[in-house]
Amino acid sequence: MKKIFSFALIAIIAFGLLAAGCGGTTPAPKSEASKDAVPADIKAIKDRGVFKAGVKVDVPKFGYKDAKTGKIDGFEIDLVKAIAKKILGDENKIDIQGVVAKTRGPLLDNGDVDAVIATFTITEERKKSYNFSDPYYTDGVALMVKKASGAKSLKDLDGKKIGVSQSTTTKKALQTELDKLGIKASFLEFGTYAEVKAALDSGRVDCYSIDAAILFGYLDDSVVILPDRYSPQEYGAATKKSNTALAKLINDTLNDMKKSGEIDKLLQKWGLK
Amino acid sequence: MPGPFAGFKWLALFEDWQIFLEGFLVTLEVSCLALALALSLGIVGGMLGAAPNRFLRWVNRCYVEFIQNTPLVIQIIFLYHGLPHLGVTLPVFLIGVLGIGVYHGAYVAESIRAGIGAISRGQLESAYSQGFSYWQAMRHVVLPQAKRIVLPPITNQVVSLIKNTSVLAMVAGGDLMYHADSWSSSNLYYGPAFVITGLLYLAICYPLARQARRLERELEVSA
Repeated sequence: MKKIFSFALIAIIAFGLLAAGCGGTTPAPKSEASKDAVPADIKAIKDRGVFKAGVKVDVPKFGYKDAKTGKIDGFEIDLVKAIAKKILGDENKIDIQGVVAKTRGPLLDNGDVDAVIATFTITEERKKSYNFSDPYYTDGVALMVKKASGAKSLKDLDGKKIGVSQSTTTKKALQTELDKLGIKASFLEFGTYAEVKAALDSGRVDCYSIDAAILFGYLDDSVVILPDRYSPQEYGAATKKSNTALAKLINDTLNDMKKSGEIDKLLQKWGLK
Repeated sequence: MPGPFAGFKWLALFEDWQIFLEGFLVTLEVSCLALALALSLGIVGGMLGAAPNRFLRWVNRCYVEFIQNTPLVIQIIFLYHGLPHLGVTLPVFLIGVLGIGVYHGAYVAESIRAGIGAISRGQLESAYSQGFSYWQAMRHVVLPQAKRIVLPPITNQVVSLIKNTSVLAMVAGGDLMYHADSWSSSNLYYGPAFVITGLLYLAICYPLARQARRLERELEVSA
């Protein structure tokens, strides 16, 4: 018996140390110490000579990887380029990697990417963990159903199953709408967007719900996207909590682009307006 | 600066403890039922594998080779996303029990077949000479001796069966891993969520492994 306890104790201590160790590695912001010098987080990017960003690769018009050319392109990629130009003076000095909803947070935390610009909805809860820029795009949650189901609106989904993707804000947003209508639906969560679509195809769920922009990437002949949009989802560029100078720089860049009309131009270029 | 393990994230987790409890219970239920299925399939499958009849051995090979040489993930995905296209929609809980039970049943069958093979042929022959039939000899002479040999590898299987129930997270199975994923990915407090989830799996597996080890020692004495 004694052995069991001592083992359990060791296990708990080991986990605790691991936890404390990881928690303690977050560097303190250094921007206050040297006001004139380049802040450490931006200097790191300059020294490296490349701006690393996490983007979507499966959301048409925002971040989409062309299967033929292997090139990732989209509105958010253009934003990454604009930021790289601001920091490094060259919009091609970027290193973009595909992220999914679930990897966005960890990749920022461990420093694999400097910023995530990947249809990342700003929420109060998330702001506690990461810096978010002001919103650069507002989307709405939409519903995709099978044509054969005949569903026309959220009302028709009473008692049905709604598939959503993990690490998204869809579930909370839709629950509020369901409560307003006084109807009930259950939610099933899947790891990737493609899995939710597979679940819709196999009839495991009756509806696939996520931000409209993402949903359009999965449109095919057997399904239809309903016209309603729910609870505006504001997309922001996220950075690691400690990289405050970088967060400010990104925010300023995006805001300047909004003022100068550059963002509007990009939105038109990608047909998002 | 809040890292992945910041204090407020732990507090948020302890506030939502019911979510984790719910998942923990589902994991326990699936584990118990899948374990029962795996052991029954394993014992039958193992005896078939050691049977003198060639057809029975062939049945065993088909089952074991097919299940062992395809990933569990694919088997589960097939049951969940594939079967509905063929008109069979199994509830996800049943998929957990069936999928994981059948998968580990194949491994248990191999352990048991090996255990039977390790008992010297003379034991079977002397049982025959006493008038036992094949199945009687198995039941009363060979299996009781094989038990001692197969216990350690079967313990391994039991523990990995429990851990493998986490594949259900992929198909919205409502198990512990699913709830940990779901909870931690909506608020991105993944640090504490996965530490606690890991400890909860440890809390099931470790006592079980201890108990099995004790059983091994007892068998050692009686043998």
